[in-house]
Amino acid sequence: MISLPPNERDLHAYVDHQLSDADRRVLETWLASHPDEAAQVRAWQQDAQQLRAALSGALQQPANPALDPAMIRQRRQRQSRRHLASAAVLLIAVSVGGFSGWQAREMTLVRSTMLPMTDALQAYRLIAQQGMLPADYKVDSEGDMQRWLDRYFTRASRLPDLKAAGFEPVSGRLLSTDEGPAAMVMYEDGRGHKVSFYVRPPGPKNTFLPRGSRSDGDLQAEYWSGGGYNYAMVSPVDTPAAQQLKQSLQF
Amino acid sequence: MSEFDEQLREIIPRLRRFAVSLTRNSSSADDLVQASLERALSSWGDKRADGDLRAWLFAILYRQFLDAHRRSRRYARMLEFFTGRDDAEPSAERTVIARSTLQAFERLPTEQRALLLMVSVEGLSYKEVAEILDAPIGTVMSRLSRARQALRQLSDGEISSPSLRILK
Repeated sequence: MISLPPNERDLHAYVDHQLSDADRRVLETWLASHPDEAAQVRAWQQDAQQLRAALSGALQQPANPALDPAMIRQRRQRQSRRHLASAAVLLIAVSVGGFSGWQAREMTLVRSTMLPMTDALQAYRLIAQQGMLPADYKVDSEGDMQRWLDRYFTRASRLPDLKAAGFEPVSGRLLSTDEGPAAMVMYEDGRGHKVSFYVRPPGPKNTFLPRGSRSDGDLQAEYWSGGGYNYAMVSPVDTPAAQQLKQSLQF
Repeated sequence: MSEFDEQLREIIPRLRRFAVSLTRNSSSADDLVQASLERALSSWGDKRADGDLRAWLFAILYRQFLDAHRRSRRYARMLEFFTGRDDAEPSAERTVIARSTLQAFERLPTEQRALLLMVSVEGLSYKEVAEILDAPIGTVMSRLSRARQALRQLSDGEISSPSLRILK
């Protein structure tokens, strides 16, 4: 049984329908003769009701097939059959600056420790091809991109100028990798082709790279080291601009 | 198994809503839900506690969220190391008057949003919420009280919090 006058907890429990019937009746009778507390309770009830109404729409989202239990079971079985020969790389994308708070997205990516700058290729696939991560930063005027990058990677080499190939930097994205924080700057040409510049620390083993290039599926990566960081430029192999791009990459 | 899947399917829209209110981003939210369901399906059977399935799933999701949040904060600190500043801190100037309860809700700190969603919207019991947040009921009650006052103040446009008064 509650005792009168009620304490604040009793009032909350009343609002949340967590009192016994007997207590609820006792409290209702008491509130009838205490207008201040009754107004307080009513305001809380109204807030709760408005919140329920405002959030009810969020229950009506179209179904996401990836979340169906049967699908998740299947995926788990497939994964265990593969015995997970590869370790998982964790990529957390964080939006810095702004009230929007933070966003985190984790992805399990196949890791290949042998090949250089695999994370740059993965980042390109996620961001440029699948559009899975929104940009942290979008360019408004010339020079912005360099300033944005300089905030995080002060000693990094300058962004390559790809104007000759028709590419301009348009957006940036910060990523976290096993080797340390990374940034990816997206370039686009007028026809929507995308090329990325990727920079991150050399990692705990201080793996610096000789200049090189390799292709991986439909993508091509040029990589190198300098100023204490590792870099990669990633572009699709079949882009008509790829050849032109390669020529303009005279670092 | 399929009966359990049916129960899960009914709760998934609620999990997604909870996840959206935590992450404020629908694609991150679905990743969070997916990771939580994976965890739930793998620990079902051996760790299943008594009580409400929904509360159990909410607990899994909230813990996954906190883990991811901690990792992202660690990452934010790494960035700070690079930049010598912390951009993630919302400044007092950004506090503007919320025009609706929903806007007010979205301005609340994460834990208050989680609490109000669980109590006011989902109607979970205080005991269930205490288990999800891993805190005593008394603590949950005082946090609930603070969350309600904060929502009230933001809805009313009373933005003068004690910390702002100190700043003056």
